[in-house]
Order: sequence, then C-alpha cells, then structure tokens
Amino acid sequence: MSYVKVSRRELTLAEKLYLPSILAGLKNTMSHLLRRGDNEITTMQYPEEKWDLPSYYRGVPVLVKDEDEREKCVACSLCEFVCPPRAISIIPKQIEGVVEKAPEVFDIDMLRCIFCGYCEEVCPEQAIFMSKEYEICGQTREELVYPMDKLYELGKTLGTDGGVKDAPKKWETLAREQGQQGLASDQDA
Amino acid sequence: MADELVKLTIDGREVEVPRGTKVIEAVRDMGSDVPHYCWHPGLTVAGNCRICMVEVDMGRGRQTVISCNLDCSPGMQVFTQSDPAKQARQDVMELLLINHPLDCPICDQAGECKLQEYSFEFGADGSRFEFPKVHKPKHVDFSEHVKFDAERCILCTRCVRFCDEIAGEDELSIVNRGDRNEIAVARGGEMTNAYQLNTVDICPVGALTSTDFRFKSRVWFLKQTRSVCGSCSRGCNTTVGTRWNKVLRMVPAENDDVNQWWMCDAGRLAFKHTAADERLGAPMVRKDGKLVEASWDEALSAAVEGLEAAGDGLFALVSARLTNEELFLARGILDKVGTQHVDFKPRTWPKDDLLRTGDGNPNAAGARFFGIAPGDGAHGLEALAESGLKAAFLCGEDLDERPDDLAALEAMDFVLCTGFHETETMRRCASVVLPGVTEFEKDGSFTNIDGRMQRIQPSLSAPGSARPDWKLLGQLLARLGGGEAPRSADQVLKSMGATHPELEGLSLGRLGPLGKSLPQGESPVTEGENTVTAGENTVTEGENTVTEGASA
Repeated sequence: MSYVKVSRRELTLAEKLYLPSILAGLKNTMSHLLRRGDNEITTMQYPEEKWDLPSYYRGVPVLVKDEDEREKCVACSLCEFVCPPRAISIIPKQIEGVVEKAPEVFDIDMLRCIFCGYCEEVCPEQAIFMSKEYEICGQTREELVYPMDKLYELGKTLGTDGGVKDAPKKWETLAREQGQQGLASDQDA
Repeated sequence: MADELVKLTIDGREVEVPRGTKVIEAVRDMGSDVPHYCWHPGLTVAGNCRICMVEVDMGRGRQTVISCNLDCSPGMQVFTQSDPAKQARQDVMELLLINHPLDCPICDQAGECKLQEYSFEFGADGSRFEFPKVHKPKHVDFSEHVKFDAERCILCTRCVRFCDEIAGEDELSIVNRGDRNEIAVARGGEMTNAYQLNTVDICPVGALTSTDFRFKSRVWFLKQTRSVCGSCSRGCNTTVGTRWNKVLRMVPAENDDVNQWWMCDAGRLAFKHTAADERLGAPMVRKDGKLVEASWDEALSAAVEGLEAAGDGLFALVSARLTNEELFLARGILDKVGTQHVDFKPRTWPKDDLLRTGDGNPNAAGARFFGIAPGDGAHGLEALAESGLKAAFLCGEDLDERPDDLAALEAMDFVLCTGFHETETMRRCASVVLPGVTEFEKDGSFTNIDGRMQRIQPSLSAPGSARPDWKLLGQLLARLGGGEAPRSADQVLKSMGATHPELEGLSLGRLGPLGKSLPQGESPVTEGENTVTAGENTVTEGENTVTEGASA
C-alpha cells in the first residue's frame, strides 16, 4: 500500500509558549462581556429562554388525540415494527365503538429512541408526531421509558397546527355511512 | 383408472398428472401457485371467488377460466402469467375491494391476509367506485371462540363448506341477496361444533377471527415454532405462536397423515397452563413438615437417597404426557431402582370421528412401548391404596382428583414428585419436588395413537431454574449410577437404539417435520412389517413437499 508522508510544520516560539493564543482568547471573551445593548447579548438564559426550533426538528415522539379527545392510535403496531432501535412497545386492548382497538400500554424507551421519525412516517392514523421536546432527563432507566400518559401529555405541546388534531377521515366516514345505512352508529364517531 | 395420466402444458412446461386433477392442483404440484381464495385442498370446489383465473387453450383458441374447477385434459395448454389472465385477476381484486373496509390497522388478519397479499402483488392503486361503501355488521359473536366481521368477508364460503363437510354440522350459510350477502349462523344460534376455530384459520381474509387471540399481537411479531399438540393421543401438528415468552396462539400445521389441516378447539386453546401462577421455578425439599426451596444438588441428592432406600418397594406413576426420551430415562431409573410397581394415569378427552381420540394422554403409545405398566404380580395405579408400599415416584403426574390415593401417598415415607406446576399432591405428600417443564418448553418426541413418532420443539423458556424433564431425569439416572447425564433430548433418542432396535438410527432431526411411524405396543414387530412402514413413509413425505399453509 502506498502512502504519503506528511511532515508536521515546526511551531514558532510564540506558538510553543501558548500564551499569545490564550490572551487572544481572553480578549475575545472580554469583548463580548463588555458589549452593551439588548441586541448585543450573546448568551441565552436557558432554561427560561429557549431556542426557536425549525419546523422540521425531531424531538421526542408523542401521541395525540383528535378534536373529540379520542385516542387516534389504534395499536396497529406498525411504529413498533418499523422502529430501528426497538424503542416502542405496545400492548393493544379492545374498546367499544367504531374503532375497535386502542393501546393498553404504549411505551417509548427514550434511552433507545434515535429520533429518526419513522414512527411518525409509518403511522396510518396520524397518531404519533415528532415533537420539539428535547429535554430528556431522568435519574433511572425506568424513568426514561415514557409511558402512554406522558406521551399524551407531551402531545399537548404540539397544539392544533399542522393537522395534528384532525381525525383520520376514514373513521368519520365509516361512522356516518353506517348511520345512513341503518347500522349501529351509537358508539363514538 | 386412477393411475391414468394426462399430459398437458403449463406455462410452456409439459407435465403429466393423474386424470381428474384440477388445473390449480397441477400448477401447485409444479411448485408454482395460482392466486386463490375459495379453493382449499381439504374442501370441495366452490369456484366463487374467481381470482384463480388462468388462460387455457384447448384447441379452440384461448379463453380465461377459473383453474380450481377445471380438470386437466390431454393436450391442454395453460398460461398462468399471460396478460389476459393477470388482467382478469386484477379486475376481480378491484371488485372484491369495492366494499372492503380497509381497516387493516385494527384487523388481526393483517400480515397473513390474502387480500393484502394479492393487493400488494397485483391490485390497483385506488378504487374507481364513487358511491358509499356498503356497510355490514362488524364484530359479531358467532360463538365464544369466533368473531365475525361481515364487511371484511369476501363470501368465499370456505367456512360454510368446512362446517358442512369436515365438522359435520351444517351451521353456517349465506343469507340476504346481492351486495347484502353475508355469512350467518343457521337459525340465528351460535356455532357449536368442536372444530369451529378452523374456520378462522382457513378464512383467507379477516372476516372470522379468534376471540382468544383477538388483538393480542400482530402476527408478524410472533415466533412460530412447529410442534405437536399435547392434549390427546392424535398428536395434531401445530404451529405455536409466541411472544414475550408467552404462547399467544396455536394453529394446526398441515400433516396429511395425522390431522390434515385441522385441529380441535379445545386442543388449540390448551396452552394456558404455561402461564399459570403456580409454575414451579425451583426444587423443593420437605423440612420439618414444610416444603422449602433447595438447590438442585441438594434436591437431587435427597431424591436419589429416597429412591435407593425404596428399592423394589417403590411405586412409580410415570406420566404419559412425557416425551419418549423422558419415558426411556424414567424406565432406566425404575430398572436401576428395581421396582415392578409401575403405571401411568389414564386421562379422558372427548372422542369423535374426526380427530379427537378420547385418550387425553399424548404419549400413551410411547408409555406402552417403553413398558410403563405394572410387572407380573405388581401393583398398578388402581391397587395403590391397598398396596401398602412406602415410597412413591410421581414422574410428571399428580393424583389431585383421587382422594383415596392421595391419602395413601400421605402415609408414605418418601414421595418424589416432578412436574411443572404446584399440585395438591405436592403440597400434601411430596418429600422432594423437582421442577420440570411443559411440552412447550422442551425438545422431544410423542408417539401418537397410530404409532407415529413426532417431534415437539420448545417455543418458550422455562421459568426460574426449572429443567426440562429429560434433563432432570437424566441427572437422576446418572446419580443412580447410570453413566453420564445426557446433554440433549436428541442424545437420549440416539442412545435408545442399543436397547430398542426399532429405534436404531433415529434422531429428532430424522423424524422430520411430519414424523415417522413407530412399531406399536409391547409386541415386537417383525423386520418385514417395519420395512413396509418405512416405505410408505417416504412416499407420504414426497407428496407433502408442496404444502398449502394451514393458517393461510
């Protein structure tokens, strides 16, 4: 195998002493420190202040309910299947109504999550979204497995923009048509 | 007559099939497949789903026809992949999907649904139908085991034909007309036949689903293990679906010589004992009148000591639910101890003309083969209470439902119990308890009522430090001076040839997926008969190489 030998440049005396560089750094810091005026502030008062995140930011995956406060998730488990690090675990349960199924347990292990957003992409019910939540901390591993309640709680941070609250139209259509055709539609719609 | 062969051409390949073979079967035997919903190898031809269209030329030009109801005839040319054939199937798919609810996210069939598969393979992108879908009743209980969704149903009538032709109770039928057609239980009652869950297996879509498995898990997460049902001596082949180290469902696996594609409901639901609360996870030894947990070493030593002290005064009840390998080892232990008082407990199970045999012991034939029966003048189970024996070995068995025998055991000096869950017998009588496992947690083989040796395979891991029965029996035998303890059930089976020439050369692997016939009973079988059986076997396996998934 051929290779090229690159010889390192000799350091000058100033560089060898380090002091000039350190002083240059201190000068830079001081110049920011002594700057005045609101527009000139270079530090941010985190956590009171936070970054404005871009719309495409992918934080903690969260669950949402529709405008009637019905769980959108039907526990189809596609997110569990597609999740590359297997962070999601779902146990389905049977419920009354047009939609027969909902999650009994929906856990996301935030120590495993890699924020790839596949779960959001694969969801046929638009029930899971990537939020802008990025403060994930806890003192035990168990704490960092986010249960369903917490995911719905975090889901509220998404607000109502971007179709988050829209119910998948198929269930609405189903309930309406069933009613028109004289079939049981007394359940939730 | 039956042997008369017909020569025809399928997709340019010349094949010869017996007269009377349907085109769809001929294609299947070639190793290829024509899409089908209503056709099932175990049922009569209905020809109503129309998806199995192929193009056929019988000398009068090409026509598209359904292949499931077309007899092969000489000189016929079949084109399964021609454009008109494909177009016909695509059109049928479009029609079938007009009123389909597309609720795959909440449908248990998703993942093994033929509608999904064919839709993916050659379905259209969307529907051209502009009107509201016709809606029908959803999640209707056909019985406590079967749920029906009329919207998903494509009216293939597999379930109707199954109940009529196989289960022998004509209890399902199609009611209403036109697009209001739906399946209903006759006279508005409930399904009652003992094989109704097979309709769930053969339903090509999600119209019939199992109440027991309902929403437990998506099927693609299940670990599928081939095994054998342990509920009766028929030995129906099964595919066990497990997840989270729990059995979630059990469905029949095809075996033409045992259960074809079917299995009884009670058998397939008999896996709840694996998750029982009272499973044993550690050996126990009785100290000061109480059973306390002990180490394996301590428990095995206590067991061996008790067995050796008992000698020919030991009463042994060996379960016929154990595998052949375990029965062989148990037999070895009893020979070493030197007792003749050996028996197994009979177990009843419903009996019918289809599959259920009436014998609830899955390996009664194996127990007889390995001589698990009282010797001359010795006490069997019926004579236990009056025998006056002072020690007992309950190998994978209990006497919970027999108070007289339980009282007799209680009066004994030493009782060794093995089993997978804590029984009344153990609590009251056992001196030493060794935790074994269920048939879902071990390797081995069962011999069914027809003398067919079939392999069971582990699909779960055992709780705690419980050991497969072959392992603990092997260790007991080794400590009694029977050589080295076996390292696998397979090793036990391979070693049987030395004492049982009929089993020479067998291994769990060689039993194959469909099992091998074993000469039955105590009577030695002549070489000649043996050879014939083996011969038949080879032919059977050949026929079975192309299989229709029973759970499709």
